[in-house]
Amino acid sequence: MKKRIILLSSLLLASSTLLAACSSGGSDSASDAASQNSDAAQTAATAQPLTSLVQASDLSKLPEVSQKRSDTIIVGLTDPAGVFTPYFNQSGYDGNVISQLWTPLVTVDEKGLPLPNLAKSWDISKDNLTYRFHLVPGTKFSDGSPLTAEDVAFTWTLIYDKAYPGDSQIRKLNIKGGKDYTEGKAKQIAGIKVIDEQTISATLEKPNALALPILGEYVLSKAYYGKDYKFGELDYFKNLHSSPLGNGAYKLEKFIPGQEVRLEANDYFFKGKPKTQHFIYKTAEGDAWQFIETGDTDFSQFTATQENIDKLKGLGFLNILPYTPSTYGYLQVNLENEKLKDKKVRQALTYGLDRKSIYVDAAQGAGAVANIPASPIFWSYTTDGINPYNYDPEQAKKLLDEAGWVEGSDGIREKNGQKLTIHLLTSKRPETDTFIALAAENYKAIGVDLQPEIFADFNAMVAKVEGKDYDLAAFSTGMLTDPSDGIEQFVNGEVKGYNNPKVKELYEKGLSTTNMEERKKIYQELYVLLNDELPVIFTNYKKTVYAYNGRMEHVKVSPFIGLSGNLFEWSLK
Amino acid sequence: MSSFLTKRLTYMVIILLAASMMIFFLYAMTPGDFISGNLKLSPERKAELRGIYGLNKPILERYGNWLGNALHGNFGYSLAQQKPVLTLFNEYIWNSFLLAVVSTFLTWFIAVIIGVVAAYKQYSWFDTLVMVVIFAAMSVPSFFIGLYLIKIAAVDLKWLPPGGMLNTGSNATGMEYVKEVLQHMTLPVIVMTLLGLGSLTRYFRSNMIDVIQQDYIRTARAKGLKERKVLFTHALRNALLPAITLVGFELPALFGGSLIIEKIFNWPGIGQLYMQSFSLRDYPLLMGFTMLIAILSVIGTLLSDILYRIADPRVKV
Repeated sequence: MKKRIILLSSLLLASSTLLAACSSGGSDSASDAASQNSDAAQTAATAQPLTSLVQASDLSKLPEVSQKRSDTIIVGLTDPAGVFTPYFNQSGYDGNVISQLWTPLVTVDEKGLPLPNLAKSWDISKDNLTYRFHLVPGTKFSDGSPLTAEDVAFTWTLIYDKAYPGDSQIRKLNIKGGKDYTEGKAKQIAGIKVIDEQTISATLEKPNALALPILGEYVLSKAYYGKDYKFGELDYFKNLHSSPLGNGAYKLEKFIPGQEVRLEANDYFFKGKPKTQHFIYKTAEGDAWQFIETGDTDFSQFTATQENIDKLKGLGFLNILPYTPSTYGYLQVNLENEKLKDKKVRQALTYGLDRKSIYVDAAQGAGAVANIPASPIFWSYTTDGINPYNYDPEQAKKLLDEAGWVEGSDGIREKNGQKLTIHLLTSKRPETDTFIALAAENYKAIGVDLQPEIFADFNAMVAKVEGKDYDLAAFSTGMLTDPSDGIEQFVNGEVKGYNNPKVKELYEKGLSTTNMEERKKIYQELYVLLNDELPVIFTNYKKTVYAYNGRMEHVKVSPFIGLSGNLFEWSLK
Repeated sequence: MSSFLTKRLTYMVIILLAASMMIFFLYAMTPGDFISGNLKLSPERKAELRGIYGLNKPILERYGNWLGNALHGNFGYSLAQQKPVLTLFNEYIWNSFLLAVVSTFLTWFIAVIIGVVAAYKQYSWFDTLVMVVIFAAMSVPSFFIGLYLIKIAAVDLKWLPPGGMLNTGSNATGMEYVKEVLQHMTLPVIVMTLLGLGSLTRYFRSNMIDVIQQDYIRTARAKGLKERKVLFTHALRNALLPAITLVGFELPALFGGSLIIEKIFNWPGIGQLYMQSFSLRDYPLLMGFTMLIAILSVIGTLLSDILYRIADPRVKV
């Protein structure tokens, strides 16, 4: 499951300046968010949510500072730390910067499916084990040095170094011989072969449908990053983080800690020099509103509440683009807890929670109810055979009765002398108060005593969950790029106490083929299964809007890879 | 004096050692570490990373390593930013210092004048007005004043920038640069000064009231000295003496940064950095910073004791 620190920080700061974290790659054909959203809109039943781009109504209202800028676009970013090396960054904010400094081998289209980028094509062997990439000839890093298959091989090998301190997925692919390399038994990784300057292949130990996007990530220059490379000693990288050498649309001009990251157009970008010479990420920890209102930033993200949308429209000089992130929210269930082991109790807790009121109405339409581990923008999303668990306290009571929980004298259900008390952990966010108030009321009505505990600190909450000292815990995933990402947590031991061989089997099956129709069927089956068993209680999808300076043209934002997709085409009128 | 200093320095070392232990164990025992926040990692990978970062070692060993390095002036690398902790301090601390020094100076300067005048004209309309305004300023939270000023001066009137330290993308140098920084620091300095002003003015006022009732002030007046001279030379000097103790407390505050102000005004200071590091459990940075504040506090107290001794030789410390 791809959850990033960006998400965690967002839980804490509830910052509306967050931009989509970079995920696995960049894209040249980002989604048309308007068409994306029509699906999602149907799942939300409140007042008319925004479904397509709203153009700025009065550009003359544009603040003077922003009117004067001719070759610079400024975007707010919460907190870049300055680790601008792919695979080494510790925060999603740095990931955002990296996604402008690098362009990946393989990108994704508006559905999240792979598209050629730096790799113009690829061949996958019949057994789905060997991936051969053909690079676009003549591509260069931003210093003008050539990018070749050797650089790709260096990058993949590096991740298998025993001292590698990051969270790259490449290790999870199990390239043949990778383990030997990590353990120091081999000088090279047997599964990685440089065929010629433009061709490279990797052979895996077992098939993995995610291999293409994961192998197809960013390439580090061997001449620059590999100059001092010695197995097991990666400390020298620390000195290189502040002077990145990439191959993306922009290159680093200057990083001023706590203030801004200045980027400059890369003359050698393989799709041509970007239209706007400068791009700045302004550190905007505080309120995103003041900066967009004064024209200090050109682009910001807001929750799609009616209030926000009205206010943005009222400013007049902003284009507003609705957008559904590829994440989903859920209540993690402590499955090792005797009272929650019973599927009926989990179903009752879902029926008994008025999710529409909490996540859609109370959020002024900035959300939709979730019932499966996939966002409505996914190609695998479906409502076929899915129980929507519409709010139904009677059904909830019935299920609890069936599970043997009977109402005690104080209205709280009991079984074997134990009360049905649920300890819920959640982090401090603006919407938490509403959630707690409504949930407590909902649960009281079905005879469940809800005991909430609110954490201002995310790590402390995670530690409590890891210590199994909870019944329910509110979480949200980070950006997901593939349907399997949403399911991984039920298979890799993250949702502790859930061990369903059928889910494991289907998950493996979904990864072992690259045929989309086949995968669609597999995921549908998985969704029905998980929707019935509820190893976690699915809660909500978020809805957000991007608001940007009406002078900006050709803006497309991908739900999977954020801004990086077509940034080089952005221009100012 | 020298035996006094030796004794004090020995105390300092012991206090700092105790402080370092407390700090380390408190942080190390807070639930959740740097790795646990990254839910993307599998349990095995988490264990591997804890090994790479040395988080799986026994706590005493970790403390020993840290202390050993710290004694050699090496506070380690920040986990989140992958930079030496001292480099990071250098990048952020002077911005905080700038805000703090200017606002502290203004606070003291204004507080002394208002305090003296208010004391001299006790119960006059001026005194009453000052007290009312001061209570109002003290009781309104800083974030409210800050946001209100941003709304009025930056968003509505567009007089001053809403936050940050420089215009975005600015390449200003020399006087232009100074002017930009001054513009950006105006609002935060106003808020910080307003906040500090209340208690300090009250402090000076009551000290001053005590002093002007003393016999020697009457003697000074009886000698026929000008009222201004009586007040600002004879009375103020004595009224300020107890304030020397406060000077010691100001030292760590000058470098500590004001979390709320820095956050509201998007000021690139150390307070913000510290809070972010805390939510990530970036131990080397947290410990280094807390240690720095501890050292400054101890030095600050020492300084104020020495100053006090110089100002009033009767005092034995």
